[in-house]
Amino acid sequence: MTGRQARRVLVVGLDCAAPRFLFGPDRFDLPNVQRLAANGCWGTLRSCDPPITVPAWACMTSGKDPGMLGCYGFRNRRDYSYDGMVTANASSIHEKRVWDILSRHGHKVVMLGVPQTYPVKPVNGWLVADFLAPDTQTDYTYPKTLKPELEKAIGSYLLDVKDFRTDEKDGLRERIFALMHNRFDAARYLIANKPWDFFMMVEMGVDRLHHAFWKYCDPLHPKFKPGNPYEGVFRNYYQAMDCRLGELLAMAGDDTVVMVVSDHGAKAMRGGVCINQWLIEKGWLCLRETPNGRTRIEDCTIDWPRTRAWASGGYYGRVFLNVEGREPQGVIPAADYDVCLYELIEAIEAMSGPDGQPLGNRALRPRDLYREVNGVPPDLLVYFGDLDWRSVGAVGFDGIYTFENDTGPDDANHDFDGIFIMDDGTKRGGKEQKGLQLMDVAPTILNLFGLTVPDDMQGKVIE
Amino acid sequence: MDKGAAICLRGAEAAEAAKALAIRLLEMGRNVERLDDDMLKRLGGVKRAAFVCGVLSRNGVFVVATARGIHAEGETLDVEIDGHDTPDFAAEKIIDSLAERGLLRLDAGQYTPEEEEVIRKRLADLGYVE
Repeated sequence: MTGRQARRVLVVGLDCAAPRFLFGPDRFDLPNVQRLAANGCWGTLRSCDPPITVPAWACMTSGKDPGMLGCYGFRNRRDYSYDGMVTANASSIHEKRVWDILSRHGHKVVMLGVPQTYPVKPVNGWLVADFLAPDTQTDYTYPKTLKPELEKAIGSYLLDVKDFRTDEKDGLRERIFALMHNRFDAARYLIANKPWDFFMMVEMGVDRLHHAFWKYCDPLHPKFKPGNPYEGVFRNYYQAMDCRLGELLAMAGDDTVVMVVSDHGAKAMRGGVCINQWLIEKGWLCLRETPNGRTRIEDCTIDWPRTRAWASGGYYGRVFLNVEGREPQGVIPAADYDVCLYELIEAIEAMSGPDGQPLGNRALRPRDLYREVNGVPPDLLVYFGDLDWRSVGAVGFDGIYTFENDTGPDDANHDFDGIFIMDDGTKRGGKEQKGLQLMDVAPTILNLFGLTVPDDMQGKVIE
Repeated sequence: MDKGAAICLRGAEAAEAAKALAIRLLEMGRNVERLDDDMLKRLGGVKRAAFVCGVLSRNGVFVVATARGIHAEGETLDVEIDGHDTPDFAAEKIIDSLAERGLLRLDAGQYTPEEEEVIRKRLADLGYVE
């Protein structure tokens, strides 16, 4: 490759890959990743708000923020009813993503495991869907004929890790490694057998690894025990992945621009904040019956005429106000909406942790975060303790804080900074790029193909 | 009632693209009629065919036309098929154009209730949601 304009672009997505393991003082010995960084440029890549797989990959590949996409997480309100939550799959994304644009300019594309590509839509090339496909009995490839072809070549295509919530860590480790190898086997096959100008894959195993093994590998985690049998799992995994990346780089050839990116990072999780329990204690949420043990909020009978707010759990919190004329049994007069919202923001941000010290929560309004607010957003996005704490939606805990996960072992939360590495042949000698953000990736890819960046893409071209 | 249109396809791969497009539109629950050279003959010529296209599209039907010489009345989309495109991808581009004109809603493809529950459980196991 002699110039910046590319004949081909290869994007390797590592969901949840954290800068500290690639660039920081804790970095592992990863010759292929580090060679790309040393030849080109690298930096941390600020995720979107919220820093979650869905919508993050769609933001990266469309150059649009979650508000423009109308997609605020994996599950979004379809309308203002109380039970109309739907999962955001490919059909929820109405904006063009880079492969749609490149396809329409006649470039051949291959997409492998990129979140929110199921149900598959035709592209000018080949597409293998992501873990949001219900199972491999579905039509998870485009064209349909690719499915038997791929399965003949690599065996079963693994959508994700099975039995993720388990204390049986040896088996889980095996399954996460198997997922990674399966994804790279598929990538090898497609790189070798399909003509492409743009190839993008996303490897989900890194995310599963971080959530399952963080406390075993990070000395900063409160539950870390030196000398535990899984202490080297992160290093082993990243190094195995780096070897597989090396195979792809050799196949792609020197005339290919290569990017290695992640949608968000990860960090130690201290515990969970039981947001609905807190809302009950503070008089915002009222249940008709006290649940018998831990119960999902969706399974509780909420006394809507006496409820002003309720919330969803996950790696971040989402709070919904019960507004008159908007929700079916809304109680907050529309004229009081802002007053109520500010009251709630103030209360959430004033929360103390179990040690009595301020948690440092942030409660954010979608209209302050995004250029446009489409779809049905939450009224607030909440980051507990700068994401040191997750949001627990279930009720029936002994207090506001929990150090167990209600869905099983999980030791990591997401972090705002992911990774960006690009070797575009300009021999920049490992220049660190500052101030990069997720939505810069799509304009950069289009620019590499010499295409005009649409005005409504919010990122900038990474030079 | 949803609006229809006459979609006039041209190019060497037009017949294959028309077939793929008709299938996509039918899958989206829309009414479709094909208008090829044979149908044109049966209708008695281009003038009458153009009139029929107009009537059908006014009544919510998509007329996918590969017959030569058609200048349909009413809402019309003329498309030159790129010979490099697969029929499915050519159809996808036309679907996008129809959506941009407000003639189609691209909200198909959501999960069945059973699939939605499978995915919700998976996401809960993974910690993304509860």
